[in-house]
Amino acid sequence: MKAGAGASPQRTCVVGIGNVLLGDDGFGPLAVEMFRCKYECGPNVEILDLGTPGLDLAPYIYAADLVILADAVDAQEKPGTLCIYCGDELLARQAQLRLTAHDPGVRESLALLRLAGHAPAELIIIGVVPESCGLGKGFSPSVLSTSSVAVDNIARLLVERGIDCRRRHVPVQPNLWWLSGERSESVASR
Amino acid sequence: MARISIDPITRIEGHLRIDVEVDRGAVQKAWASCTMWRGIETILLGRDPREGWIFTQRFCGVCTTVHAIASVRAVEDALQLEIPPNAQYIRNLILIAHAMHDHIVHFYQLSALDWVDVPTILKADPARAASIADSVGSWEGNSHRRLQDVQDKVKGLVASGQLGIFSNGYWGHPAMRLSPELNLILFAHYLQALDFQRKSNQVVGILGGKTPHIQNMAVGGVMNAINLNSLATLNMDRLGMVQSLLQETLPFVQQAYFVDACLLGASYPEWFRYGRGLANYLAVPDLPVDAKATQLDLPGGVILDGDLGSMRPIKDWRDQALRAAVAEDVTHAWYQGEGPQPPWQGKTDPDYTDFQDGGKYSWVKAPRYNGHPMEVGPLATVLVGYASGHPLTRKWTDDAFKRISSLRGPNLTPKDMQSTMGRYLARAIRAAVLSELALKHWDLLSSNILKGDATTYNAPQFPQQQITGLGLHEAPRGTLSHWVVIDKGVFSNYQAVVPSTWNASPRDQKGVPGPYENSLLANPVADPSKPLEVLRTVHSFDPCMACACHTFDASGREIAQVKVL
Repeated sequence: MKAGAGASPQRTCVVGIGNVLLGDDGFGPLAVEMFRCKYECGPNVEILDLGTPGLDLAPYIYAADLVILADAVDAQEKPGTLCIYCGDELLARQAQLRLTAHDPGVRESLALLRLAGHAPAELIIIGVVPESCGLGKGFSPSVLSTSSVAVDNIARLLVERGIDCRRRHVPVQPNLWWLSGERSESVASR
Repeated sequence: MARISIDPITRIEGHLRIDVEVDRGAVQKAWASCTMWRGIETILLGRDPREGWIFTQRFCGVCTTVHAIASVRAVEDALQLEIPPNAQYIRNLILIAHAMHDHIVHFYQLSALDWVDVPTILKADPARAASIADSVGSWEGNSHRRLQDVQDKVKGLVASGQLGIFSNGYWGHPAMRLSPELNLILFAHYLQALDFQRKSNQVVGILGGKTPHIQNMAVGGVMNAINLNSLATLNMDRLGMVQSLLQETLPFVQQAYFVDACLLGASYPEWFRYGRGLANYLAVPDLPVDAKATQLDLPGGVILDGDLGSMRPIKDWRDQALRAAVAEDVTHAWYQGEGPQPPWQGKTDPDYTDFQDGGKYSWVKAPRYNGHPMEVGPLATVLVGYASGHPLTRKWTDDAFKRISSLRGPNLTPKDMQSTMGRYLARAIRAAVLSELALKHWDLLSSNILKGDATTYNAPQFPQQQITGLGLHEAPRGTLSHWVVIDKGVFSNYQAVVPSTWNASPRDQKGVPGPYENSLLANPVADPSKPLEVLRTVHSFDPCMACACHTFDASGREIAQVKVL
């Protein structure tokens, strides 16, 4: 494992992947937004909601030291189960890990970066098993309750690696704009 | 590679499934089916039109900005609202950066391995490769040392048995015909392309506030604050960064990508004969240079039956004939409804039946232009540009023809462009045209700001009565249109007719197949268990969906199910 407190700052990306319009598929963007609001990080930590980038993932995680990627995963577990994998399991396909439809992009992006010599030094996947990925449905209770556990795990992983990440004294209100329920009123409140 | 099949309602990128029947080495019948529901527009109903773009840019993960732009243009069209010139230029620069990025990614990451046989790179002579590359272009990434380095990487990859990461590679396929040296050159650029994807993203990030989901869009303009003396706004520093990034991208587009597309065309001349398809083309004008969008830098038009001489130009976005011509047919799509519906009256009520060869078989509707299926995309843009005498399109198309002929390839005419290889070449021509227009629009923006104009936004006013609007954008994959109905200040209908809807269209009520389906007829297939040639033609359209390709023999037995990325 590279670096620690006092070493040269690591470039870290906390990336959320998934489509916010499709219920629990939006777990990745939810997790990174909740993380941003609960924790404060140093300038070398980028927090990115990338939606469903496919192969366009590569430029965002190019040459990072650490990438933590939050996404809905299709594991043989109960909905809401939190699954943490390391990137090698994904690349070597040892893990019976089936990410969502964006999976091809994740794996191919990593392969390409590795070949080009710019792969992230370490990749960790924070996954949750979705309950329902219906259009405009919002999050199911199981995924919503797991997301706060997921957020604390992201912080733990950063702290363990000596990366500057502190709990905010005053949490920021998460901007989960896509859940704004009353449609015609949502702008009036902006 | 694993593929997840969940209920069609669940995944937005969608899965395109191509079924082909092969007999005597050629495709006899083809079906294009999108296995995912596209009713995403229903999420817009009842929403405030000013925030529509925030949702539409989540339609698709890869083409985010294009849906943001089409949405605000649709609302502005409904309001007949002009936007300030600065807003046009900033939007144009974002669109150009995104398009160059998209074309580069398509050529190298999404389709190069249909033509490049990676293992043969081990047999290449890097010195010879460098001298070949030098003779056709002046790209700095072609040095002997860099090519040697790439060859060493491939050696390492093969030695460690990791070549399998390129799951869509058909190594050693008889249809692979590049020399080891050309394989090495193209593969080197495949790796270098990554750096230019990043630069284009940075342009979008600087101007759009964030990437991939831009934050600066607004109905009425853009939200960029312009103040040359402020650090927190769009100032000379940031404009300078944008200019440098565009200038750095230009040589890669013109000297690596464009030249590689010519090399590919010269090496695979037979692919100018396959994949023609319908030869009906639609492109809309884009890159407006004035507030009213009366002058646009990219021409639009309609070509039927491949006849460039009788092209009907589309001068601007107010073109009434276009508005009246588009209708969507759902005879073979999993929706309720009878007869073709104009998008403003369009409905999106699902009617799933399972895959029926002669019945309904796709979640994609069948858009038609006066009843004709139309191909959209860079080939349409380039043919329309060529037919209109658009100087930049002519310049780069003629340059491509000359290069291919001097590389001992075929002597091409615009007619030959109507083919599988023509689509690849057209995309590279379009990227080269855009690389020049990028600098032009940067100049327009910075000189307008230096004149003292800092306006970026005109506030919209919504009437109580019902209004309709059409937002057009010539996106990397082709004509994109958002059709909106606004009633009492909220959306009461929203229909997006996206490029892949045109191209992946199923049959219509007359049984006429869509562009993918048509272009695959008579496509060669040397080995039905490895339908590489089918992928080449499907990939030539730059399908935006991860897709699965099934090959059947004449008796209907499934031979192979192949993942297409």
